[in-house]
Amino acid sequence: MRTEHAASARRRETFVAKAGQVERQWKIVDAEGVPLGRLAADIAVVLMGKHRPEYTPHVDTGDNVVVINASKVGLTGTKADNKLKYHYTGYPGGLKAETFGKVRDRKPEALIEDAVRRMLPKNRLGRVMLKKLKVFPGTEHPYESQQPETMKV
Amino acid sequence: MPRATNGPTRNKARKRILKQAKGYYGSRSKHRKLAKQQVIRSGVFAYRDRRTFKRDMRSLWITRITAACKMRGTRYSAFMNGLKLSGVLLNRKMLSQIAIEEPAAFDQLVEIAMKASQATPSKSS
Repeated sequence: MRTEHAASARRRETFVAKAGQVERQWKIVDAEGVPLGRLAADIAVVLMGKHRPEYTPHVDTGDNVVVINASKVGLTGTKADNKLKYHYTGYPGGLKAETFGKVRDRKPEALIEDAVRRMLPKNRLGRVMLKKLKVFPGTEHPYESQQPETMKV
Repeated sequence: MPRATNGPTRNKARKRILKQAKGYYGSRSKHRKLAKQQVIRSGVFAYRDRRTFKRDMRSLWITRITAACKMRGTRYSAFMNGLKLSGVLLNRKMLSQIAIEEPAAFDQLVEIAMKASQATPSKSS
């Protein structure tokens, strides 16, 4: 890494974003019929900020993303009936399984949040990035006043 | 005759190591032995990372150019190919800076690149 001294001696040539000076936008995406993984991949790029030329790895330069119609997210093939989500209750023999389809009916936010979380960096910054994701099962959401921009997937 | 020891030299050596170990975690900045180990190790990392720094920066510039290209509906590879064909010699560092500071200039670069790649038939055909 270049030292402070060297940086002040001549102009730093590569732009470095500063936390707190990042202008964050709001984006909205309709999940209806979009396959879960493709949706999550596109959302993850926006949350990480890799869609903007100011992207800086150690700073969160991403935008906020609102997801609507999460309960209508697409699952291709037989994944709705056959693919299982596991969680461990902490008790012996407490490994529970539920199909993706059932999770989508019962708690659609969990399905999308899980998929996106696993596509983000597994570190402190990744956890901060995830907080900018807001998922809603229906078309209603409380971020109308942010005037979110429609995002293509 | 007074007994001669190497006390002052030892103190000097210890101080030299501890000075280099300032700011290290826990006893690594306080104890002679741990500080010495960490200073050597840090030197190894610094040597290695002066080399990986160059690669890391190049991949960062590429990520940024990719983002700027996607915004304008093209791909990194197509853009770079177009620039090469049209004889634009800007390097990736400058291209990424242009994308951030002069978006309008980058628009024109994309235009130049696209024109060049359409004019030249691809090798496979």
